Amino acid sequence: MKIIVDRARCEGHGLCEDVAPDLFSLDDDGELVVAHEGDELPEQSETAARAAVSSCPVAALRATP
Amino acid sequence: MVVGESVAGATTVRRLRALGHTGPLTLVGAEPGGGPNRPPLSKHVLDGAQHDDTLGHALDGLDIELVRVAATGLDPAARTLCLADGRALAYDALVLATGAEPRRLAGPGQRGELVLRTLPDAQALRARLDTARSALVVGSGVLGMEVASACARRGVPVTVVDRQPPLERVLGGYLSGLLTARAEAAGIEVLVVDGDVALVGDPVSGLRLPDGTVLSADVVVTCAGDTPCTNWLAGTELAGPHGVHVDEQCRTAVPGIWAVGDVACLDTPCSGRTPFWSQAVAMAGVAAASVLGLPPSGPPTDDYFWTSVAGTSVKAVGPLPVHGPPDDVEGDPDTGNALLTWRHDGGPDTVVAHGRPITAGRLRARSRAGARSSVPAPA
Repeated sequence: MKIIVDRARCEGHGLCEDVAPDLFSLDDDGELVVAHEGDELPEQSETAARAAVSSCPVAALRATP
Repeated sequence: MVVGESVAGATTVRRLRALGHTGPLTLVGAEPGGGPNRPPLSKHVLDGAQHDDTLGHALDGLDIELVRVAATGLDPAARTLCLADGRALAYDALVLATGAEPRRLAGPGQRGELVLRTLPDAQALRARLDTARSALVVGSGVLGMEVASACARRGVPVTVVDRQPPLERVLGGYLSGLLTARAEAAGIEVLVVDGDVALVGDPVSGLRLPDGTVLSADVVVTCAGDTPCTNWLAGTELAGPHGVHVDEQCRTAVPGIWAVGDVACLDTPCSGRTPFWSQAVAMAGVAAASVLGLPPSGPPTDDYFWTSVAGTSVKAVGPLPVHGPPDDVEGDPDTGNALLTWRHDGGPDTVVAHGRPITAGRLRARSRAGARSSVPAPA
């Protein structure tokens, strides 16, 4: 599974950071920092990644199989 | 079974699985292409088509049966749901998440009124904005100001008309003043009138103001609030004028039926219908737990609120509206870069980020810190 971010759509709500702090964080400028972005996720992170994807109010995150 | 492919419905389904429900699970949605995440509809989707295909709710891996047919009726005694294609589906537990529909102003048979709730609504408005030379927006609430902002971004001269100043009912006078100034600086004309307006023309070509003046525009959009989708529940005891009433566990008066999101009206001390995204997510979590007989992990309310006006974002946690100037100001409100705090006796602060990047989680922490500091120290 990979995480794909649509940065044009990200509004910096940070709900992904709340549910998956090991994968997502927002810096002081509101820019989203994603661990393993575009790379295959470690298997143990997949559940958290799915929760983060579904937490995004603007659907800016996607998980590819 | 969950009815409504909304954020409330999709979240309920996910929470049911996350909480350990392994039995059959059906999600019934009326929108043939699937329900979209709605917050982008009044923002990015009005700017261009590149977002249209990536708005769906993530439902992968949940092992659900997805039925994309409108629900038309309910027999609570027999525990069956009737669908537009004639099928009747049996359920053990039912969660209503059918949302709301836009309030319309058009008279019988009057064509051409534009509203914004669904993806096709947003696509239709976007297409009209491609060639429009002027726009009128009825209603200067959250949706109306987002639509007006999209018009301004796209270079379409726009006037918003309402009985109250922009966002005053939701946010209070101080924030309304700040955001009205931002809107006007971006070229949005704000008109406050002292009575009802009416759509004129067939197809609609303008508005008649309370003083009889008629304004014309190429595009007229009604953003005058919404009505819970309860018509299909006629004949049951579920539908009230303010939606489907639910208790603090999102249970309706009918055994085996819960309601969440925009269709639901909470009968609790902080009662009412709060048709906002965060509230829908909170209710979904509570209902899923209640369906499974588990204690809820939180309250059925969430006061995280956001919008954006003319390119300035507003994110808030804590009681709204707020009245009077803030008790604490960090930054410069007039340039759209400030963190504003209102303190309340014995409760959480209202913390508002006005054009400043900050996450919901950090706003929540600040709001709660205010509540702690206002509690008197034990003697």
